[in-house]
This record gives sequence, structure tokens and C-alpha cells, in this order.
Amino acid sequence: MALPRSFKRALWVFHIATGSCNGCDIEIVAALTPRYDVERFGIMLTGTPRHADVLLITGPVTKPMLPRLKRIYEQTPDPKAVVVVGGCGSTGGVFYDSYNVVGPIDEVIPVDVYVPGCPSRPEAIIDGVVKAVTKLETLEKSGVN
Amino acid sequence: MNGISSGFGAWNPIAWTLLFLGILVVALVVRSFGRKDYKRGSGQTRAFLSGNEEPADRSALHVRGDHLYWGMIDGLSAYYRRVKAMHTGVFNDYVAAFVGVLALIFVLLVWVG
Repeated sequence: MALPRSFKRALWVFHIATGSCNGCDIEIVAALTPRYDVERFGIMLTGTPRHADVLLITGPVTKPMLPRLKRIYEQTPDPKAVVVVGGCGSTGGVFYDSYNVVGPIDEVIPVDVYVPGCPSRPEAIIDGVVKAVTKLETLEKSGVN
Repeated sequence: MNGISSGFGAWNPIAWTLLFLGILVVALVVRSFGRKDYKRGSGQTRAFLSGNEEPADRSALHVRGDHLYWGMIDGLSAYYRRVKAMHTGVFNDYVAAFVGVLALIFVLLVWVG
């Protein structure tokens, strides 16, 4: 696996809420504010998965969001890292047995990094994104496809 | 190069062809910066529509001009309902409306004047 040059220069992140309560989404926004300012590291949100290196997903997968999540994952160019933010996306959380929830994110698409918390702290989200990139770089060095 | 002077600028086919060729070269150079390692025939080549499926009939995606001011139409919906109901498509109705408005203006002019 070879990471493209753009991947190493700056990380473009696409954020998907598959059924979250918006708590984690607000923390993601907080990571962009001047207090945390992830853009100084080149990490920025993009409006389309076609330009994204990382998918940042919050919330459990609700039934209406299931085909959309699969489609967005397919539309994201390879190599890509998937980071799940929050307890609901990691395990289903308090919605684990809800009638309208399919399950946690990893039941639908492969996940690279889980960021715990309800909601996750901005520091933890930044750490999760960095860990995902580190994982991809390790895979690149080891020559795994 | 002598162009044809129309009084509204010059039309020179050679100059325009050169301009289009220049634009084409710039477009091809910009296109060459794009990544070539995408998977052909996969979702990576389909349009992103906020995760929604692309409908078979692409005209269903058409964004009309009145979508830009839907808020105004929604705000004035009571007015639009009445006005739309008046639009019967029958020419006689439009002429009747025209004569009616004309008569109203005439009465107002006489009344005020």
C-alpha cells in the first residue's frame, strides 16, 4: 500500500453522523475552534468524501443511514482511515437495542480507530485521527495492501 | 490578423481557436494533477449526493431557479395559492382580468382626478 503525497501533506476529514445525538459532533466542531485548532496540523473538514482521507463517524447506524454509510464509504478514495467517535458508534451505546438501529459502525464497514467517550473530548478525537494515520503509515512501511 | 468589425467588438476565428486551445491545454494540465489510482466502475466514480443514490432519471436532480427563493414563496403561500388559482390557462379569463384592472384604474383616475 502506498499513501499518496497529498495524504502525507494534509489530512482531509469527512464527517458523517449516522444517528448520533450530536454531542460528539459538537466536540468535533470544538476541535476546529481556536482553542484546539486542528487546522494548524493540516487537518480540515471537507464537504465531500471524494476529497477525504479520513472518515470521522459519530453515532450508531440507524436503518435509514445504513445504505448511505455504505455508499459514502465506497465513494471515499483509497487508502482511507475510518475513525469512530463516541460510545454509540463503537458499541451502540444506549441505543444498542433500539428498534431503529442496525448496530455499531464496525458491523457495516471496517473501522481503524475507536475513540471512546460520551461525548469524546476534542483531545481524544485529535489523538484518534493521528492514530489512524499512524496505522496507515505503518501498513505502508510493512508493504501490506 | 484582420478580423471582421461588426461594431460590437471583433470576431476573429483564428484568435478564438487559439484562445480555446489555450484553455484546453490549461484544463488538461489541471486534470493531470488528479489521482489516477481510483477504482473504475466503483462508487468512487459516482457522484456524491449527500450519500443518496443517484436516480436513474438525472433530470430529477435538476435544481430549478425558483428553488433559490422557496422561502419567499413559502412565506407568501396564501397569496400564491390565490394567484395560482386565477391562472386557468384560458385566454378569455386573462382578457377579462385585463379589462377588469383597466376599468379599476380608470375609475381610480376619475375618482382621484
